[in-house]
Amino acid sequence: MKSETIEEVARIARLKLTETERTEFSKDLEEVLEYFSMLDEAPGEKEYGLNPIEILDMLREDEVRREIDPELLIRMMDTFEELVRGPRLV
Amino acid sequence: MFSELIDEVPSDSSFKFNFSAKDNLCTIDFQTRAGSRILDGYRPPFDATPVSRLRRAGGLLIGKTNMDEFGFGTFCTNSGYGVPRNPFDIERSCGGSSGGAAAAACLLEDHLSLGVSTGGSISCPASFCGVVGLTPTYGRVSRYGLVDYGNSLDKVGILARSSSMIKNHFPTIAGSDPMDPTSCAQPTLDLDDTQIDSIAVPREAMENIHPSVRDSFLRALDIMRDQLSIDIHEVTIPSLRFALPAYYVLATSEASTNLARYCGMRFGVRGDDVTQHFNDYFSSVRSKNFGKEAKRRILLGTYSRMVGFRNRYYLKALSVRQTTISDYARVLKEHDVVATPTMPFIAPRFSEIERMKPIEMYRADFLTVPPNLAGLPHISVPCGYVDSMPTGMQLVSRHWSEGTLLNIANLWEGVFQYRFPGAQQ
Repeated sequence: MKSETIEEVARIARLKLTETERTEFSKDLEEVLEYFSMLDEAPGEKEYGLNPIEILDMLREDEVRREIDPELLIRMMDTFEELVRGPRLV
Repeated sequence: MFSELIDEVPSDSSFKFNFSAKDNLCTIDFQTRAGSRILDGYRPPFDATPVSRLRRAGGLLIGKTNMDEFGFGTFCTNSGYGVPRNPFDIERSCGGSSGGAAAAACLLEDHLSLGVSTGGSISCPASFCGVVGLTPTYGRVSRYGLVDYGNSLDKVGILARSSSMIKNHFPTIAGSDPMDPTSCAQPTLDLDDTQIDSIAVPREAMENIHPSVRDSFLRALDIMRDQLSIDIHEVTIPSLRFALPAYYVLATSEASTNLARYCGMRFGVRGDDVTQHFNDYFSSVRSKNFGKEAKRRILLGTYSRMVGFRNRYYLKALSVRQTTISDYARVLKEHDVVATPTMPFIAPRFSEIERMKPIEMYRADFLTVPPNLAGLPHISVPCGYVDSMPTGMQLVSRHWSEGTLLNIANLWEGVFQYRFPGAQQ
């Protein structure tokens, strides 16, 4: 796999690769994708789902429930005066 | 084999049994790190449904078992928290990704290990560690509280020293759960004994097997035929050879989206510089804390879903999965189970694993992947010993027929003696 391709894939996946990783993963992915190419000749069915079994379309009642204490969730995050702290957006 | 263990076993004897949970199942009283450095310090505020159900049934959770990072591995060598060693030979692998769970089931008497399988992560370590591992039908056990790997593939199951232990506790964890809609379409679990008449052995599964492992499997089939009066039939399932690439496409595609949530904000470790732009912040946390195999699979999955490749890989893999389901259904119409060896070799030495390329590791899963891809229930039972190491036999049945598997495993245990390290033979 070309160096630019792997760099683009890594950018989309939010990964920064070192030069060594880029070389190593290029080679690994090339071999795996070559193996995947046998799917081109595989017989496939026209009708297929996203899951291996039939799934019921389940909806829960639209009612307010509080199963987990929000205070507890906030305590696990990086906070400053009850605000969640995160990286810069702009 | 444990990534975290209870400090002290409570002295009161109100607990009816003890169990452990693979570290990708959320637990309120232990960290849940799924073998990944990126989840270091994560303490969920709730229990996964299978864990809470076992606790309600009187189980004592004694610890969390080590695993390949997010389930990415065949040998349990991809954990951020050490490598569990095979109880039969510490120079060899436990198998992955539920390696810690299999080692605990092997070493601790009367212990129940909750494991999780996406592409064979219960069968493989069960085979390498000489224990029984049941992977239920996709959707039979709630995935609520499970750290997702591949949502359309993940299944919570049980590893233990015998099928009877699994049979006792499986009904507790099975059943619909409104918190996981995929568990809500299941029929009632039926564990009544049924007549087992016929076993199908796919010809495709007998290729590329180490000769001693193949001999051990064939001897097991002879015992089944001679002592249990079960007919053995050779069949062909041509689509089996396409199951492995289809599986790796789907699994890595789903994993690459699931792992997007680990960005140093909501779970586990945080970045050390919030003045960075969010893209740089996320990328630096992820690059520093994901292991090599996690990165490899994220890249692979991201690539397969990219514009221009989605039809060739992802959609084709979904259609191949349907063919695999249809092919199994055809064979299982006439036979009770499909049997193969579980793994093509005995547990390899760590020195051998170091020399393997990623593609060679992926290909080692060619027997465990097909039933996982098809969401079919399967069980791995010890079926022989080669160089004092256990070999496994994997039995696959129709969707929702876990009872058939537990029944045949129980019959098998009547004619074949399992061995455990340290026990008098």
